[in-house]
Amino acid sequence: MGDINRAMAEQYRNDFLKEVEANVEEGQWVKMCMQCGVCSGSCPLGPAWEHPPQEIFMMIRAGRRDEVLKSESMWMCTSCYNCIVRCPRELPITHIMHGLANYAHRLGLAPKMNPTRRFAKKFWNNLAKSGRVNEIELSVGLYFMDGFKTGIARAWAMKDIGIGMLKAKRLNPFGFLTHKGCKDKKGIHKMLKKAREIEDRRKGFTA
Amino acid sequence: MADVVATHETIVVVGGGISGMTAAVEAAETGKNVILLERAPSLGGRVSQLYKYFPKLCHPTCGMEINLRRLRGHKRIKVLTQAEVSKIEGHAGDYKLSVTLHPRYVNDNCTACGECGQAVSAEIPNPFDYGLSRMKAAYLPSLMAYPQRYVIDPSILGTADAEKAKAACKYGAIDLDMKPETITLSAGAVVWATGWRPYDAAKIQPYGYDRFANVITSVEFERLSDPRGPTAGRVVRPSDGKEAKNVAFIQCAGSRDRNHLTHCSRICCMASLKQTTYMREHFGDEAQSTIYYIDIRAIDRFEDFYQKVQADPGVRFLKSKVANITEDEATGDVILHGVDTEGYHRYDNRHDLCVLAVGMEPSVDVRSIADVRVDASGFIELGPTDGGIFGAGCAANALDVNRSVQSATASVLRAVQVVNRVAKAEG
Amino acid sequence: MADMKIGAYVCQGCGLGERLDTKALALVAQKEGKAHVVREHEFLCNGQGVAMIQKDIDEGVNRVVIAACSRRAKTEAFGFEGVAISRVNLREQVIWAQPATDEARELTQEMAADYVRMGCAEAKKIVAPTPNAEHGTDKRVLVVGGGISGMTAALEAARAGYDVLLVEKTGVLGGYMAKLHKRVPHQEPFADPQATDIEGLVASVSQDPHITVYLNSTTTRTSGAPGRFSVDITTESGQTATENVGAIVMASGFTPYDATKLPELGYGKSRNVVDQAGLEDLARAAAAQGEPMRRPSDGKEIKSVVFVQCAGQRDATGTHLKYCSGHCCNTSMKQAMYFKEQNPSIDTAIIYTDLRTPGNGEDFYRSAQRKGVIFTKGTVASVDEDGSGSATVRFHDLILDDKTATMQGVDLVVLATGLVPNSGVNIDIPPDAADVDPAKASEHAVSVLNLTYRQGPDLPQLKYGFTDSHFICFPYETRRTGIYATGPVRRPMDITQAVEDATGAALKAIQAVENASLGRAAHPRSGDLSFPTFRREGCTQCKRCTVECPFGAIDEDEQRYPQFNESRCRRCGTCMGACPVRVISFENYSVDSVGSQIKAIDVPDEFSEKPRILLLACENDAYPALDMAGVAGHTSSAFIRTVPVRCLGSVNMIWITDALNSGYDGVMLMGCRHGDEYQCHFVKGSELASYRMSKIDDTLKNLNLEKDRVRALEVAIADIGKVPALINDYAAKIKEIGMSPFKGF
Repeated sequence: MGDINRAMAEQYRNDFLKEVEANVEEGQWVKMCMQCGVCSGSCPLGPAWEHPPQEIFMMIRAGRRDEVLKSESMWMCTSCYNCIVRCPRELPITHIMHGLANYAHRLGLAPKMNPTRRFAKKFWNNLAKSGRVNEIELSVGLYFMDGFKTGIARAWAMKDIGIGMLKAKRLNPFGFLTHKGCKDKKGIHKMLKKAREIEDRRKGFTA
Repeated sequence: MADVVATHETIVVVGGGISGMTAAVEAAETGKNVILLERAPSLGGRVSQLYKYFPKLCHPTCGMEINLRRLRGHKRIKVLTQAEVSKIEGHAGDYKLSVTLHPRYVNDNCTACGECGQAVSAEIPNPFDYGLSRMKAAYLPSLMAYPQRYVIDPSILGTADAEKAKAACKYGAIDLDMKPETITLSAGAVVWATGWRPYDAAKIQPYGYDRFANVITSVEFERLSDPRGPTAGRVVRPSDGKEAKNVAFIQCAGSRDRNHLTHCSRICCMASLKQTTYMREHFGDEAQSTIYYIDIRAIDRFEDFYQKVQADPGVRFLKSKVANITEDEATGDVILHGVDTEGYHRYDNRHDLCVLAVGMEPSVDVRSIADVRVDASGFIELGPTDGGIFGAGCAANALDVNRSVQSATASVLRAVQVVNRVAKAEG
Repeated sequence: MADMKIGAYVCQGCGLGERLDTKALALVAQKEGKAHVVREHEFLCNGQGVAMIQKDIDEGVNRVVIAACSRRAKTEAFGFEGVAISRVNLREQVIWAQPATDEARELTQEMAADYVRMGCAEAKKIVAPTPNAEHGTDKRVLVVGGGISGMTAALEAARAGYDVLLVEKTGVLGGYMAKLHKRVPHQEPFADPQATDIEGLVASVSQDPHITVYLNSTTTRTSGAPGRFSVDITTESGQTATENVGAIVMASGFTPYDATKLPELGYGKSRNVVDQAGLEDLARAAAAQGEPMRRPSDGKEIKSVVFVQCAGQRDATGTHLKYCSGHCCNTSMKQAMYFKEQNPSIDTAIIYTDLRTPGNGEDFYRSAQRKGVIFTKGTVASVDEDGSGSATVRFHDLILDDKTATMQGVDLVVLATGLVPNSGVNIDIPPDAADVDPAKASEHAVSVLNLTYRQGPDLPQLKYGFTDSHFICFPYETRRTGIYATGPVRRPMDITQAVEDATGAALKAIQAVENASLGRAAHPRSGDLSFPTFRREGCTQCKRCTVECPFGAIDEDEQRYPQFNESRCRRCGTCMGACPVRVISFENYSVDSVGSQIKAIDVPDEFSEKPRILLLACENDAYPALDMAGVAGHTSSAFIRTVPVRCLGSVNMIWITDALNSGYDGVMLMGCRHGDEYQCHFVKGSELASYRMSKIDDTLKNLNLEKDRVRALEVAIADIGKVPALINDYAAKIKEIGMSPFKGF
């Protein structure tokens, strides 16, 4: 992974914007920002952002590569689309944020312990395994990802919701055993592999 | 309307605001015959509803007085009010305009003595104040109204009020049987000066113009500041009448925005800078104005004015497009949320009143009326040289008053070229 | 001239009949006003009333006194031709300005009677003006300057059928525009630089049968007036042709601000720092050779360019230009696109503080971004080149709040330095003035027009060297009738605006020649046929009129008498106000016509407790404000007697002394704001009046009167509620200081 990072940094010397345009989902929109800040103000997670989207766009133009890619900020995006709706330049800000996060992750620069990233990873692995999410496994895995003690505490805190979901038959307590996955698991795996190949090729991650 | 004489050498000016009035007098003073058409019952247009002009902070009525004097006595100018053009056909040197004349229910006998206004009791929203005040349904549109004649609002037709108005008039000026009529005018050239309208602020959902009483538009703020306006010049909040000493001005409300108007409306920065001076005029050192902007476009010589306003300790500038506005229901205060982009500072700023510097859009979609070329925003472009319909003022671009007058003057020459050509051909 | 026959008509409509004893007023007109025909009418402005007056006129009445509404109302109805008309304002400023009570009736009637007396007195002293005989009839237009503004003005005037002389200082037409590689787009979709098509334009000008072009030439002498200007056009080699023209368009353009004044931005130190004009040179030279643009210092390929906006502009410190030049944001974007067209991978960054692209410029801005031009909000501190040709730009990044931001390895830096108008000589600075503020004075102080006018050789400048009128509503009105400035000499502007501006200026020039040929005045008293004349034998040659005329209309003849140049005159009457021996007058406006009105009133004796206050009100602003106060129902003191004046500048001090001598208890003057933000339609009129008024104290002392007997006020037309209050305040003051001791003398 470090190699890819080095290779990219080398390839786009001094021009982080070009690197973003070439490698980040919807990255070609970054240059269209006029720094009005409406996105930054519109984000419901506002104060949680170290660098709000409009600032990230400026940082990209200013070549602050490490600061951007190692930032926790774009992992904050919850895809509410408020920013996209309000952006006077119609930038697909949500997509760019996810694109940046994804790119940072691929380069190995994304903050390792970022909870969003870890959740995303868990979710993906869970889903990709059988082609269908095993909810109980995902929930329990998430609660216990920082160890047994915190896992118990987290699960306990969520017990009322859990019981409610059980009663409403929205959660299958035997999911560990009975989860079936989709019919053609092999097909799914093949499909995902192919998709990964295409994406890697498109983004220049293949050797 | 048999007394309207129009020929192939006549220049018809559509729109009686500052651009149209300018075009009419400049053309007439160059020796051309002009018919000036205005949709409203009185000339003056949107500028007459402004309290002051930037950058001199002088009054629009001052220039209007001169223009009216030039126009009133001029034998080459015929003014038709309540006149709306529905179609222009033909070509340069030979146009036919279909014009609908809406009834005023008051004839030339009117002396503007005001008796009918006193006799009538029904009240209607006053368009001169953007509906912020009400007026009698028999009214003089403004103190500077030209023609200086009353208007009977059609809403009282068939009521006792209409009869009372008629009975009050000693001069036989009220004619309740007037009907709309459609006339056809000939013209060699047409100057299209129908001006602009404020962008509909309610469409900017996050700012809550349609939901919060204390979010108003810049054109409404002009009326609030004017001693002749609905509040007699007291800058107060619509919600509770409390003095609005702490006012937010939001720039680009609708302009420079792919969701609304893509163009920059040019005047709004200067208009808001100007309105901060109203604040100082009304409240002195207690005035607090905050301008939320993307770029301050105090272009060319107006830079002076910007620098002057910047030096006012009561005015604050925040480079930020406001994200959204909420209302504190208990106090009626508006709270603006967003990010100051110069260094990333979040704010939730409380203000007494928020003024949206709304953008400019062409007031009429001319494409359905005449064969002219317009740009993506609907402003008339200068067409191929063989045309004879010329945009002037804000029908042609988002312009300030000064540039509108320039534009109107230029369009007159283009029209003069056409009618001179016709005159030459006709010998 | 036929014998004077005054017809006086008293209207009874609009409540006049109920509020006033019109019969008594008619009697006043007859007995005191000596009117030959006196009639009352219940509704004077209707067809019947008007016909009645017209019939009298047809039967010999040649002075008409209309005692009805304001002169601002029913203008069309009472627009009788060929007779002198005096409008007596009984409606707006008498019955509507007084309470409709029984107690107020007596004073209201007195007021009305006085106004009737004044109207009759005026009618005796005025005649309907006839056009002056001297007017010139030359309809050719001279255009000075062969750049885009000048060429446009010439072509557009020619297209309207007028002959044009186009004078260009250099050997080619085209001006600054000819030096451009491309221009900022002026048409939908506003996305890419457009061809200037300057060759096509030059060809149209050169081939137009209506246009005569003088290259390598300047105007070395300009005399005369609209309709009859005489101009010497001199070539470089010294040959002079004298031509007659009717109007002049001055399109002398601009000079880029001297970038050597910006050493901190590297100009003059590094060849790789250029101004916008320098970049155009590079682009044009490269295009001519079909080569890419290269670094000036060593011809190396250009990989990165930085544009510094507002270089030496918007400078509040006063060192450089204080204004914004208006075009530079779009110009830099256009120039950045040159590089993007050359090679999209060239880095182009624009460092700005406010990006100013109004109107459709916003589309161009978006287009520049789409092409990859980078925009950074910041202020540039320095540009340094390391000797190898590559520069470092240090700036304060305002968004990231990074005070030590840099852009390194920059191959070319372009400074957007703005424009300085070529306005010629600043006539307000004495030629021998020692230190001239460099930011204010034009550095090209060679006269453009070489006017032989008494007040100086060029157009008066407004601010920062621009010749703009500073009139929002009337941007073309310079202070030299028939001479119209256009393009960036008038105010900062880009090509698109200059084309629009020049077209308008050409219209104004055409209008000027048409008006001059009819002997009519130009704005703001458009169409006025009156003009000033003077009684030669009384003139002391004091020159005040020639010096004070706001429009430089008055020269001196060989015998040093004033020469009025009627078609240069705007009919404000400032000369009349200035004249200490009162020899200047208009046919329908004179020291006598106003003086007679002032003296016509009936002054009650000292013990009546009825003071009389004269109000001289500017007819453009104060008088309409008084009218509208009446319409709006504001009442004010019944002791006021108002005389509208063309401009406060036309007020001759004798009116004030006469008024005080004849028993008025006070005199008010209401005029427009003066100073930097002046609102006087005659530019200097109210300022001169205020200067003259500053000396009134001596007069009052001589008369042994209190200082408060005269009060001068600045009033705007919108002061509708304020004007009555000012009157009442003053009436209270007069009550306080007591009645004038001059009653009954």
